[in-house]
Amino acid sequence: MAGMIRAELGKLLGLPTARVGLVLGVLIAPLLVLVNAPATRASLADGTFGDPTDLGFRNLGIGLLGALILGVVSVSSEYTSTGEDSPGVRQLTVTLAAMPDRTRLLIAKATALVAVVTAQGVGTATATLGLTELVHGEAVPAPSPARVAAAVLYWVLTTLLAFALTLIARNGVVTLTVLILNSSVVSLSYLLYKVTPLAAYLPDIVGAHMFIRGMDLAERIPPVTAGLVMSAWVTAFLALAAVIFHRRDA
Amino acid sequence: MIAIDRLRKSKNRTRILRDVSFEARPGRVTGFLGPNGAGKTSTLRVLLGLDRPESGTALVNGRPYASWPRPLTMVGAVLDGSGAHRARSARAHLRWVAASNGLPRGRVGEVLDLVGLAGDARKRAGRFSLGMSRRLGLATAMLGDPPILVLDEPVNGLDPAGIRWIRDFLRTSAAEGRTVLLSSHLMGELAEIADDVVVIDHGQVVAHGTVAEVTGEHRTLEDAFFALTAEAGRTWPA
Repeated sequence: MAGMIRAELGKLLGLPTARVGLVLGVLIAPLLVLVNAPATRASLADGTFGDPTDLGFRNLGIGLLGALILGVVSVSSEYTSTGEDSPGVRQLTVTLAAMPDRTRLLIAKATALVAVVTAQGVGTATATLGLTELVHGEAVPAPSPARVAAAVLYWVLTTLLAFALTLIARNGVVTLTVLILNSSVVSLSYLLYKVTPLAAYLPDIVGAHMFIRGMDLAERIPPVTAGLVMSAWVTAFLALAAVIFHRRDA
Repeated sequence: MIAIDRLRKSKNRTRILRDVSFEARPGRVTGFLGPNGAGKTSTLRVLLGLDRPESGTALVNGRPYASWPRPLTMVGAVLDGSGAHRARSARAHLRWVAASNGLPRGRVGEVLDLVGLAGDARKRAGRFSLGMSRRLGLATAMLGDPPILVLDEPVNGLDPAGIRWIRDFLRTSAAEGRTVLLSSHLMGELAEIADDVVVIDHGQVVAHGTVAEVTGEHRTLEDAFFALTAEAGRTWPA
């Protein structure tokens, strides 16, 4: 199993797209702290910002795009054609020839992904929150370790969700487009929430309650409940993806 | 030793394999011959655990391929192209494959030498020519120094030098005692490389034996092939 995880780590980190996702994820959030600094300072001063403990964590959200890219390419790279002269050939053929036990393969793949994204999440959170403290000083209370851990967990769970969805769709472009639009332009779940408050428990928005206090929704979900609900969603999607992956001809 | 026993499979409600049975033995090159769409690739994909049959078994030294803990040390397979991601270098591709089966990193250099790609180790697979991709596929197959080789249309699209190189490589492998199974629709080529031949048509094995046995009364293997398969009834413009 250790060899399989090492193989999957090497595969993931060897992809140029994954490297872009890794660097983008780590750099973009701290950068936003600097870019937003003047506006944030003003809103903190006149009291319109809301909960000041959210400050660093709100900027963290944008870095999630990098983690999403990692989750998607980890699977989509298996399904992209490897050459014009052989459209049916994909890396998946070699992957399954080398690791034919599909359950163990998925575990190795997910483990490698979680390891990379956890490191990325910890690095980004440390840089972003540290920089927030440096820029805003006393105005922002020091973040509690539990909230930082919850934010990293949110990254990991969102990445696994992207991983599972790509495995079901077998296509990275579709999954990545949907996920990016949903997380940056307009969230479908957020629109649904206008219809029913139950939508607050949908997988893409429930997780943020783990570490953001002043959510835009009226619905207040305790952090632990939010974590459990999101974990349940992710487990369900992973299980569904695994069953489909098992039954499908490669 | 490869033992295929009564494989059956349908795709989109069409039966593509009808009770396919044959064996490939050590020290011999077994040619799997049939027109395009006859079921060659489907059979090989079932053998490697990529696709699932409705019934029947495909065993590699007595066990299904997927049940071998380090399958690359048992079977080396090349299914059309290298399967290397276009953005990866040949060396990076071979490294992850080696790691997945607990093979030493040193094997990567050895197999690159073996197929004559040592000078292109850092080149991205997406920039490889067809011949180089085939070589990289063979290098991947040889990583675990397996006693069994399975190749789907290995000479398709290669230039004469490439075809000759593959032919020598496979003959040498069989002489070393390996079981070599290769599919092809090129009869002339197969007659030169193979010891045994399995002819498949419309998902059914229509002949099985040594090249001499299958050729029988016919002048060449090609004549025998056309007599055995539905190709005989197909008319092509002169």
